[in-house]
Amino acid sequence: MAQAAVQMDESELIRSAQRGDQDAFEQLVRLHDQNVLRLAFNLLRSAEDARDIYQEAFLRVYKNLGSFRFDCSFHTWLYRIVTNLCLDALRKRKVRREESTVVETGEGTLDRMDMVEDSRAFGDPQRQLMSRQLNERIQDSLAALTPRERTVFEMRHYQGLRLKNIGEILGTSEEAAKNCLFRATQKMRTALGDFI
Amino acid sequence: MRCDEVRKTLPLFLYGELSFDEEEQVEMHVDECAGCRDELDREKLLFRSLDQAAAVPGPDLLRECRAGLRQQLAQVQPQQESFWEKIRGGFTIHFHFAPGLAQLAGAAAMLALGFFGARMMPGSFPGAWGGASVIDPATSHVRYVEPTGAGKIQIVVDETRQRTLSGSVDDRDIQRLLLAAAKDPADAGLRVESVDLLKNRPESAEIRSALLYAVQHDPNAGVRLKALDGLKNFADDSDTRKALTQVLLTDDNPGVRTQVIDLLSPHASDAMVGALQELMLKEDNDYIRTRVQKVLHEMNASVDTY
Repeated sequence: MAQAAVQMDESELIRSAQRGDQDAFEQLVRLHDQNVLRLAFNLLRSAEDARDIYQEAFLRVYKNLGSFRFDCSFHTWLYRIVTNLCLDALRKRKVRREESTVVETGEGTLDRMDMVEDSRAFGDPQRQLMSRQLNERIQDSLAALTPRERTVFEMRHYQGLRLKNIGEILGTSEEAAKNCLFRATQKMRTALGDFI
Repeated sequence: MRCDEVRKTLPLFLYGELSFDEEEQVEMHVDECAGCRDELDREKLLFRSLDQAAAVPGPDLLRECRAGLRQQLAQVQPQQESFWEKIRGGFTIHFHFAPGLAQLAGAAAMLALGFFGARMMPGSFPGAWGGASVIDPATSHVRYVEPTGAGKIQIVVDETRQRTLSGSVDDRDIQRLLLAAAKDPADAGLRVESVDLLKNRPESAEIRSALLYAVQHDPNAGVRLKALDGLKNFADDSDTRKALTQVLLTDDNPGVRTQVIDLLSPHASDAMVGALQELMLKEDNDYIRTRVQKVLHEMNASVDTY
């Protein structure tokens, strides 16, 4: 019931935004923008690139909302736009080869490893070192995935989307998304095998 | 399931992406196999490590993004709703009430249709406007500007505005709009709603033709089913039967094929027997196969051809 109410609210927001209601559009953005930013940030590992994706995605939504016809959920439509932009960016900029654990944020550069909480390693230099090495290996193995594998993995593991939904977003079948996720997890497992 | 098969599926198992049966098999295997149980524990550890490696953008970055977006939005115009979306906006009001009434009373459905008046009928506003506030720049277009002397100007504006029409489904104008909406390629919901109203008037040749077109060509199964419903009293009409027979053999939706069988079966013919036998050659839906066998049996036709 609650989910239906939320969906109804979102439909109302979309219709109001389609009629030019700016407040409704802003509310619509706020329903989704944290997840959009997180996806772009995780995939591109650059605050600047994530910001570009965020703004370009929501600008496209704004410009094209009039043609959104509820054939799919708004979430699917939005993520289709975001993932297409991210995939393009990953392919064009060859982010995989350029990646390091250091990312740019609004507050300056930051090592992603410093953002990883690891209570197990706290106070134990040996374990801290192991944990750091493991996380570096995780970043390397994520970077070694193809843009598509990376995107599917991010959406399933970190965004918690179902494979069916991921397939819809990427314009492919659930089975293809499943195969892609399978390949990604196999690669990750192989790369991290001696750490786990 | 063998150990290597189980181990391959462990990530999908943890993501909850296996079918019920596959999940059962993995659980049963892991319960009995210490090696795979260890492997599952390793997989869980890997998942936890991956969870911890997620980077979360800080609140400042989100604030920056929102502020930047707000600035950019101020410089662009959104795409406005299309003509048919405006019409649909009008339908929304109607469909909350009218279909039930129409079905119960069999009476004329009252429609509320919004449409762009001035886009179709360019309007001019000679002289006295109610002031600039009556014109919404986002939804209007200045056609031309002309000085009229004494420091005044005359502006001709094509105004985009929504109107509401009310009338019976038998009204010619309403029907014309419904027939057009029933073919709007971009809006399946609008087509469903339009066909749902039109199907109650299949005695009109134009409407019947639209229903036949929808059954044969509409990409949305919901629209096709509504159209089939409207054709149920015309299953003995030769053109209708011919079209339905084609649908029976080509439609990819089992629900549509089942409904076509229901419509055609009371009107046995050689052509229909042939079509049903042909269907049996390629039909992979067990329920439909059973239905077809039953119909062929009732027609005393061979079910062995296939």
